[in-house]
Amino acid sequence: MVHLLSYIVFIPLVAALLVLLTPKVYQNLYRVLTVLGLGLTLVLIIFAVSKFDGSVQGAINSEANLQLVEKTEWFSMSLGSLGKFSVDYFVGTDGLNVGMLLLAGIVLLIGAIASWNIKEKQKAYFGLYLLLSSSILGCFVALDFFLFYLFFEFMLLPMYFLIGIWGGPRKEYAAIKFFLYTLVGSILILIVMIGLYNSVYDPVKTALEAGYEASQVEQVQQLVQDGTIKSGQIVKSFNMIHMADADNYIPGSFLEKSGLAKIFGQPARWIAFLALLIGFAIKLPAVPFHTWLPDAHVEAPTPISVVLAGILLKVGGYGLIRTAFVMFPDSAYHYSWLIGFFGMFAIIYGALNALAQKDLKKLIAYSSVSHMGFVLMGLAAMTVEGISGAIYQMYSHGLISAMLFLIAGVIYDRTHDRMIENYGGLASQMPKYTVFVAIAFFASLGLPGFSGFIAELMVFIGSFKSSAIPAWMPVVATTGLVLGAGYYLWTLQRMFFGKFWVKDKNWVNSLTDLNSREYLMLVPLVILILVFGIYPSLLLDLINNSVESFADHLFQFRK
Amino acid sequence: MLISQLQHSGLKEKLASTSQDLWALLPEIVIVSTIILLVVFDLIFKKNKSIGLAAIAFAGLAYCFVLTIQQWHSVESSKALMSGLLNLNRLSIFLKGGFIIGLTMALITAIRSGDLQKDFFKSSEILVMLFGLLLGASFMTLSSNLLMIYISIEVVSICSYILTGLTKGRKKAEAAMKYLIYGAVASAIMLYGMSWLYGFTGTLNLTDQSFAIAITQIPQLPLSIACVMVMGGFLFKLGAFPLHIWSPDVYEATPTPIVAVFSVLPKLAALVIIFKFVNLINTPLIDWELWIGILAIASMTVGNFSALWQKDIKRMLAYSSIAHAGFLLVGILAFSSSGNQAMLFYGSVYLMMNFGAFYLVQILERQTGDTSFQSMKGLGIKLPLIASLVLVVMIALTGLPPTAGFNGKLYIFSALWESYQADGHDILIWVFVFGLLNTVVALFYYLKLPYLLFFKTPQSEISLDNKEISDALVGTLFVLPLLLLFFRSDWFVGLMNSINFELWIP
Repeated sequence: MVHLLSYIVFIPLVAALLVLLTPKVYQNLYRVLTVLGLGLTLVLIIFAVSKFDGSVQGAINSEANLQLVEKTEWFSMSLGSLGKFSVDYFVGTDGLNVGMLLLAGIVLLIGAIASWNIKEKQKAYFGLYLLLSSSILGCFVALDFFLFYLFFEFMLLPMYFLIGIWGGPRKEYAAIKFFLYTLVGSILILIVMIGLYNSVYDPVKTALEAGYEASQVEQVQQLVQDGTIKSGQIVKSFNMIHMADADNYIPGSFLEKSGLAKIFGQPARWIAFLALLIGFAIKLPAVPFHTWLPDAHVEAPTPISVVLAGILLKVGGYGLIRTAFVMFPDSAYHYSWLIGFFGMFAIIYGALNALAQKDLKKLIAYSSVSHMGFVLMGLAAMTVEGISGAIYQMYSHGLISAMLFLIAGVIYDRTHDRMIENYGGLASQMPKYTVFVAIAFFASLGLPGFSGFIAELMVFIGSFKSSAIPAWMPVVATTGLVLGAGYYLWTLQRMFFGKFWVKDKNWVNSLTDLNSREYLMLVPLVILILVFGIYPSLLLDLINNSVESFADHLFQFRK
Repeated sequence: MLISQLQHSGLKEKLASTSQDLWALLPEIVIVSTIILLVVFDLIFKKNKSIGLAAIAFAGLAYCFVLTIQQWHSVESSKALMSGLLNLNRLSIFLKGGFIIGLTMALITAIRSGDLQKDFFKSSEILVMLFGLLLGASFMTLSSNLLMIYISIEVVSICSYILTGLTKGRKKAEAAMKYLIYGAVASAIMLYGMSWLYGFTGTLNLTDQSFAIAITQIPQLPLSIACVMVMGGFLFKLGAFPLHIWSPDVYEATPTPIVAVFSVLPKLAALVIIFKFVNLINTPLIDWELWIGILAIASMTVGNFSALWQKDIKRMLAYSSIAHAGFLLVGILAFSSSGNQAMLFYGSVYLMMNFGAFYLVQILERQTGDTSFQSMKGLGIKLPLIASLVLVVMIALTGLPPTAGFNGKLYIFSALWESYQADGHDILIWVFVFGLLNTVVALFYYLKLPYLLFFKTPQSEISLDNKEISDALVGTLFVLPLLLLFFRSDWFVGLMNSINFELWIP
């Protein structure tokens, strides 16, 4: 299939339109349409991943490294002295996003199944959910910054309504907080996007514009550096792959690699990197920009929590890799200690907070903050192991956190109460549920055999080896693992073991064990978590070449 | 001065060229004829005049629009008219076309407004004043002579004062009085400043060679004082900080379709005048980047933060238009061809956004009877189509994708970055940072209306008339360009590429 990625991105959108056009009389069809649409998407994603060739080798900043590429001009116009303003519809996969794509497909489908019980305003709910799905998938495959930004921003609005209409008691507050925090982040990203656009040119289009062959890219780059090709003929570019190549920066522009340009007395590239870092760190979220997350999670309905923790956080991590690290490797190296420190801090701070929570969902939300710290630390290490670990952690945490939020949803569905202290000895009442809770908790705390263990192990190996961050950072971060075991085991003990007790006697009858729909969601997740815990090479083989060239790309600045 | 010129160059030739130039003013002549027709029609017929008046108004607008398109094709570069009093170029033709579309949208809003329809079309008064405002705004875009600028601004102002006070009510009288007093003082100060400039240079014509030469020989202080005074009048019309205080009261008291006209036509016309003025007083003695930069930052910030606390939608939109005036100034600030195009793009998108927003507010007002935020609670469930359109417009006003509001901001700030890269003036980076962070503040109040519409449950039962489908169809016509221009903004920019922003006449 030629337009495989486009089908993947736009099938949910088509399903959303179908939902909107279906009359209200057939409202039971909405959820069926949603599950079918996302099921088809997942099938196509699996097909795409199976077609993805992990052995393709190429530099992270060359289009040779990409697969399943689709590139057509979206619009191009000349805007005064800015020159040609050209935006492409440019999607493709490489090792950095192929795993994310697969994860998104899985979690979105599970979220759709989890939405089965939504009763209020079904049309709006499923329409927005599909819209959100489409923009998430688009965000992972877009390789044109403009397109990426469009999808990135477009996630906010559906999410705002999904939390704000179908959420818990403080939903309005949580929704607007989520929107404002993320918007601050996207504004910072927008600033850098404008800056990059003003600094980067498209060597191929410039070659054609200046009357050269499209194949004479290197020659054209040389001529632009010399100043032989004048600014009128330079075609600027939003292409994220071009932005990663130092040779594609217009001489004298602000973000030029050797540039001495300063903003507020600091090198412009450092400022730009920091802006991107904060922008995506809000989404990730990293301490101290994480405070929207517990609120959003607590108020959001279960399926939205699943999507939020399972995929939306990963958009932050992926964006950080794709833009900040790949485009500004020098600045990334300069700030690696800072990123490593915040990673370490998040691991411990998130775990300590989780330890103190009384609400099960809030506990899981803080454990997410803690686990996302590993992503930051792995990236800061700048070694192959560290980066692989970071990507693996995103993938693994996507599955595990989806499962954790489903589990919290199971109990909330039955009693509308998530306070840990209100339950005791649930194991005797709901034995099968307890088994799944135990699996999820152990997977999340990093027990060998589950995918989380592989990810965290690689992050630690990578950061101990790293010359970019000092060794005490991973050492301190290991306490996070101990704390993680602490809060999970303690919760397990308080809620599930001992004599059966619940606060409200009326709950006893409603506390039934898992139903078939819940099995349908939980069992595949358990299998996936185990499979990726035992055969990490399933994913690592796909991403390895890209990660290695990414590490090489960073390595130039690590001497 | 005119008379002396006439004596020099021979009355006959002058008259000949003037009558020649009249052809170039055909769109304006059509506007005047429409006004006369409206008045005459109103006098002749006694009853059931509304259909006739509406027909005349729309026919006049349509004919005027056709003429404007013809003019667009026949005029390539700047052309001096009426002995240099006017300066016809594609920039002004483009804006005139926009104004005509805007006024048409306002009249459609009035037709769909229920009660107001009677006020608008019962007699010719409001229509005549609106056309007068259009005439003034058209001449503002054409003027390149200080006297002509003053007269056209006054035409717009006087029409505005009357429009504010025309419908009955104590609040309206207060607003009209406030408007009149502020406006009169601003005009007087502007006129005084113009007299200084005339005294310095000996000419009123901004595009005159002698003006350009003389302006460089004036000491800094008196030139600055003169410019501050003149800019005062312009900023009043633009509704930018610090001369914005009148606008919330006026907006709140005036009927919504008229407010829509107030919020766009005079603003964009004033923007063009500021653009000309700032570019033609081209001397290193005045740091225009600093001046405009500070004004832009202040307008954006003051407008946005004041809008946060509003309880009435129209007041909120008034403050939002103050903030947008700041964004429009950023386009001038870039002082580059990309900045000019970005400014014009933003201005056009602003026109569409505002007429769309006021149309939807008018529809909601028809249902609830007032424009306070509280009365909008829960209407989204009953009017899902209208509420969705409101959401799109508010997203566009905030400047988020996928609406043209995002492109407008993107182009403006790209141009700004480019000029910062070129000259490194510190104020530019501050404008950049403040401008984009203001977007976050803006989100907070723009989302308030969709928030109330969708998230809240209605306080009491409101009886709705069943016109949602037709309302939404018209609304879609207003709102659709905002989405289309996001996906294909090259169509529109292509049109702007043929505009020559050169102000000098060769």
